Amino acid sequence: MSFLARTARAAFQLLLSSFLLSVRYYATEAPAGSGDRLRLSFALPHQTIYSKAEVQQVNIASTAGDMGILANHVPSIEQLKPGVIEILENPNTSKKYFVSGGFAIVNPNSSLDINAIEAFPLDEFSPEAIRTNLAEAQRVASTASTEEEKAVAKIEVEVYEALQAALGKTS
Amino acid sequence: MAFSWKAAGISYLKYTQICARAVRNALKDEQRLIAQRRDEQGIKFAKWDGGKQGELKLINPQQ
Repeated sequence: MSFLARTARAAFQLLLSSFLLSVRYYATEAPAGSGDRLRLSFALPHQTIYSKAEVQQVNIASTAGDMGILANHVPSIEQLKPGVIEILENPNTSKKYFVSGGFAIVNPNSSLDINAIEAFPLDEFSPEAIRTNLAEAQRVASTASTEEEKAVAKIEVEVYEALQAALGKTS
Repeated sequence: MAFSWKAAGISYLKYTQICARAVRNALKDEQRLIAQRRDEQGIKFAKWDGGKQGELKLINPQQ
């Protein structure tokens, strides 16, 4: 009888320990994506630029400040400013896009989703157009009669100044 | 300060639209012409009554 009770208890403990081993606690490290690479999805309403591509690092301009994202980053949601997104596919190849604004979502499993309205490589911008549009927006910002027109022009000034800063850095 | 447009009654969606339009207008000519087509948005709707389609209406806020 006691033998039977002992085997039952042993079997129960075995079951319990195997159950405990399979459970993930808060302190358990999340399994890395594959190696130490970040999986990037970068999408616009009309185009997919990256779909679960493995990259080294992504630098974004968020409203909370500029930040670099590597694999195993703390999960977070960042609102993007009109600014540059730099994608380091490898330590020595990087691609830069200017985005108009959107969101970057850092998931717990080393994947990063970036959604934006518009994104273009820096060489598709015309410095000439930026200069004339900036001058026009600045003029409107100082002469507009309504608050809303002024606010719109100020947003445009911000965008063009960010564009000028982005293009200035590359040349 | 970053959200001064909020005080002027501009919503986040409006704000991103303004930013997107500004970005499109800064492109080189050939890319700009393609991109600017995306700026035009509107809806088409018709009321269905008794299994029949009513008058088709087009709402385009840009016009």
